[in-house]
Amino acid sequence: MKFTHFLLLILILLMPSGLNATISIQKCMICHGKPGFKKVEESGKMKELYVNFSVLENSVHKKKVCTDCHADVVEIPHRHTPEKVKCIRCHYKGNPEGAPQSDKYLEYQKSVHGRESEKGNPKAPVCQECHGNHDIRHTKDALSRVSKLNVPKTCGRCHMDIYAQYVKSIHGKSLLVEHKQDAPSCTDCHGEHNILAPEESESTVNPVNVVKTCAHCHESVDIVGKYGIETTQVSLYEHSFHGIAVKYGSKKVANCASCHGTHNILPPEDPDSPVNINNIPKTCGKPECHPGANKNYAKGKIHVNPKSRESGVIYWTGLFFKYLTILTMMALVIHILLDLNRRSKEWREQKKKP
Amino acid sequence: MAGTEEKTVKKVSTKPEIEESFLNEIREEVIARIQELLIKDEKIPEDIKEKVVQEINEKLPEIVAKRVEGVKEEIIKESINLAVTSRKELLALYRKKEKEKEKEEMFQRFNIHFRIQHMILFTSVIFLILTGLPLKFPGFSPVAFLVDVFGGIDNTRIIHRIAASLLVLFMIYHTLYTIFHHEGRRDFWLLLPRIKDIKDVIQNLKYFFGMTDEKPKFGRFSYVEKFDYWAVYWGCVIMIGSGILMWFEELSLKILPKFILDAAKEAHSDEALLATLAIVIWHFYNVHFNPDKFPGSLTWFHGKITKEEMIEHHLLEYEEIMRKRKQVTEERLNNNG
Repeated sequence: MKFTHFLLLILILLMPSGLNATISIQKCMICHGKPGFKKVEESGKMKELYVNFSVLENSVHKKKVCTDCHADVVEIPHRHTPEKVKCIRCHYKGNPEGAPQSDKYLEYQKSVHGRESEKGNPKAPVCQECHGNHDIRHTKDALSRVSKLNVPKTCGRCHMDIYAQYVKSIHGKSLLVEHKQDAPSCTDCHGEHNILAPEESESTVNPVNVVKTCAHCHESVDIVGKYGIETTQVSLYEHSFHGIAVKYGSKKVANCASCHGTHNILPPEDPDSPVNINNIPKTCGKPECHPGANKNYAKGKIHVNPKSRESGVIYWTGLFFKYLTILTMMALVIHILLDLNRRSKEWREQKKKP
Repeated sequence: MAGTEEKTVKKVSTKPEIEESFLNEIREEVIARIQELLIKDEKIPEDIKEKVVQEINEKLPEIVAKRVEGVKEEIIKESINLAVTSRKELLALYRKKEKEKEKEEMFQRFNIHFRIQHMILFTSVIFLILTGLPLKFPGFSPVAFLVDVFGGIDNTRIIHRIAASLLVLFMIYHTLYTIFHHEGRRDFWLLLPRIKDIKDVIQNLKYFFGMTDEKPKFGRFSYVEKFDYWAVYWGCVIMIGSGILMWFEELSLKILPKFILDAAKEAHSDEALLATLAIVIWHFYNVHFNPDKFPGSLTWFHGKITKEEMIEHHLLEYEEIMRKRKQVTEERLNNNG
C-alpha cells in the first residue's frame, strides 16, 4: 500500500504543472462560447464578451489556451474582470514559448505610442489596438490587421483625417485600389513599433530624415523604377541647394514633403498636386519660402540634372566650363612642369662648373 | 688720380730745395770730422788745412743736394708704386660697393592702390572659397567640416555674402582706379594682350625645350601676369554676375526663368572650381613655390622688387626706366651747363 501511495505521489509530482493550472478552453467556452454573451460597462457601453473560437483557431496563437494570455484567470467562474493581456509575457528576445525572437516590444516602449501609453493616456494604442486580440494573424497573411493592405485602415481607426487624405493620394490609390505591393502604407514611411512624432529628430519623417525615407523607394530602380518613375530625383535634390542645406542641418529649406505634400501626395500631372506646373508658383511662394513667386519658377525643371543634355542651357554651361577648366589647368600645369624641368637642367649644369 | 701725383713729382724734382738747418747740421759734422783728421797729420801746414776745409765747405751744398735729389726720387717712386697698388685695391672695393648698392636698389612695382586692391581681393577670395567649397562638395569631409567651423549653414551663407560684397568693392575700386589714376590707366593699357605675348610664349616654350638659351624679354607685364589679370577679370564678371542673380533670387526670378538661374548656379559653381585650382596651383606656384620665390614674395606687401628681379623678369621695362633716367640726368646737366 505504501508503495502505491508513493507511486501516486510521484505521478502527481511529475504531472505537468500547467495541466493543473490551465483551465481548458472548453471550460471558458461554457460562457464565452455563447453568441451574444456581453455585459454592460460602467460607462453604459455594451461590451461583447463572446469569443468566436474558430477565430482563435485560425490565428497564430491556435496552439495556446485562454489562460496562456489571460494568466490572471485561475478559477472559473473568475471573480474579477481579467486584466488587459500583456503580450510581453512571451514576446521578448530569448523567450522559451516559441514566440518570434525579437525586441519589438522594447522598440514600442520608446515609440510615441509606447510613451503615451506609459503616461496613462487612454487613447494610446497597445499591441492589441493594431494587432488585434484573438484574431492575430501573421503580417504576411492578407487577413492580418497589420498586413500591407490593412495597415492604413488599422492606423486610420485612430488617425481618421489622415486616412482620408491618404486614400486619395497616389500612394493610397496605388496600394488600396491597384493593390501594388510596392506602394507605401503608413508604416513604410513612419516605421512600425518605433514610430516617433515628426518633431522628434530621430523620426523617419523629421525634416532631417525625410529625404532618406523617401529615397528608400524613390532612388530604387527595383521599387519605383519599374513603374517608370524617375529614380534620380533624390540625388538631384541632394545636389541642389535645398538638399545641401538640409545635409548641413538647415530646417528652413524645403525637403521632399515641403513641396510634394505628405499624406496627400499626388503625381505632378494631377492638377491638384502642389508640384503641378500650374501650382508651382503657389507652392514655391509660401510666405516662409519665396514670397511673390511667379510663373518663372516653373520655367525649367525643378530636379534639374546639369549633366543631362535635356537640361539645355544648363548642360551647355556645364560642358563649357568643364572643358575650359580641363584645358586651362592642363596648360598651366604643363607650363609649371616645363619651367621646373628647365630650372633643374640649369642647376645641374651649374653644379658641373667649378 | 695717378696723373696728378706724377705731375707733383716732376715739380718737386725741378726745384731741389734743401733746408738751411739740415745743411748746417751736416756741415758742422763734416768740418768737425775733417779737422779731427787734419790735426793728427802734423806735416800739413796750417793754411792748406784751412783751404781744404773751405773747399769742402763750398762743395758741400752741391754734394748734399745731389744726394737728396736721388733719395727724393727714390722715395717718390716707391710712394707712387704704393699708390698704384692701393688704388687698384681701393677701386675694386669701391666698385664692389657700388655694385652692391645697385643690387640693393628696389623698384616700386605696385603702388598703394594696387596693393590695397590685391589685399581686398585675396581676403575676399579666401573666405569665398572656404565658405563655398562645402556647398560644392557637400559629401567631402575635408571641406564639409568648414560649415561647422563657420557656425552652421546659415552663418556660412552670411560670411559668403560679406566676402562677396568685398569682392564687389574690389571690383568698383579697381574700375575707378583704372579710370581715374594715371598709373591705373597706364597699367591697363600695358595689360592689354599684344602679338608680342604670343611671340613670348613661343620663345619661352623654345627655351623650356632647350631649343634656345635666350629667355623671352618681358616688359612691365609678362604674358603670365597678363593671363592672371584677365583671368581675375573674367572670374569676377562670372562670379559676381551669377552670384548677384542667386543672391537676389526672388528679384531675378521676377524677370528671368528658372533655368537661367540654374545655368547661373552651374556657372558659379564651375568657375569657382576653376578659379580655386588656378589660384592654388598656378598663382601659388608663381609667388610661393617657385624656387626663386619660395617661401613667398613680399611684393604684395611693399610693392617692390629688386633690380635683379627687374632685369630677370622685366628687362624691357628696366631698360626703359634706365633710358629715362639717363635722359633726365642729361637734361639736368645741359640745363646746368
